[in-house]
Amino acid sequence: MPTAIKADHINPFIHSTLNVLETMAFTKAQIGKPHLKTGEEPVCDISGSIGLTGEAAGSVTVNFVKGVACQIVSRMRGEEHTEIDATIKDGVGEIANMVAGGAKGEMEAKNMNLNIALPTVTLGHELTHSHPHDVTCVVVPFTTDTGSFTIEVALKTS
Amino acid sequence: MPSMNVLVVDDSSTMRRIIINSLGKLHFGNVTEAADGREALGKLTPETGLIVTDWNMPEMNGLDFVKNVRANPGYKQVPIIMVTTEAGKAEIVEAVKNGVSNYIIKPFTIDVLREKIQAVLGVELGS
Repeated sequence: MPTAIKADHINPFIHSTLNVLETMAFTKAQIGKPHLKTGEEPVCDISGSIGLTGEAAGSVTVNFVKGVACQIVSRMRGEEHTEIDATIKDGVGEIANMVAGGAKGEMEAKNMNLNIALPTVTLGHELTHSHPHDVTCVVVPFTTDTGSFTIEVALKTS
Repeated sequence: MPSMNVLVVDDSSTMRRIIINSLGKLHFGNVTEAADGREALGKLTPETGLIVTDWNMPEMNGLDFVKNVRANPGYKQVPIIMVTTEAGKAEIVEAVKNGVSNYIIKPFTIDVLREKIQAVLGVELGS
């Protein structure tokens, strides 16, 4: 049976995602309804994932379709990119890095210890992520003027 | 002052691009970039007047890079700003103890970068 995830575990990642996009990509995102992962989420083209250890162990993943990833990274860089290449991969990795870092800061302020690993970026149409049975995965959808994307927060608490 | 060379060190090309774009808006046009501390050590020159570095990088991380810079008599005084996701007090204290002049936590705005550069260079930069 998956361990229950608290709002205190998810909200820092939501706040951090909003902050990263607005501050570094000049993009305001709106939050959709968080829900447990069903496996029937929309497919994505590129994901940036960061492993988490400490009091909340698991991972956080940002998932984009090509167009949204390219537009957001283009805004960050101030130059247009329309295809997923090494530059876009790097940008998605850095987004994941900052999302995790910001969440870590908020959680540590609440005395929740969290360590973050280096980002892993994966590509591929119809990319899906699976998780161990004892990990609960919450999907948080976001919408922007460039399109929609999601973050997945997969945690088990000790 | 803006004619000095600024060395930007980060393993993310996107972050380097963001910092370099911001430096350009602050009228710093003489910028060199490096993807890790080891590469950055090889790009120090007598004209290096400011260093902006990440912490977590392969080959040589930012903290070790800073230690190496400060160990060189020619670069004991060059201002170093660390730009990183490491936001803990212990990390900040360790960075400053090893020679970091000022600290920026990602994500950041150009206004924050301007403020920190003004603080370490002791100059007023245009908006």
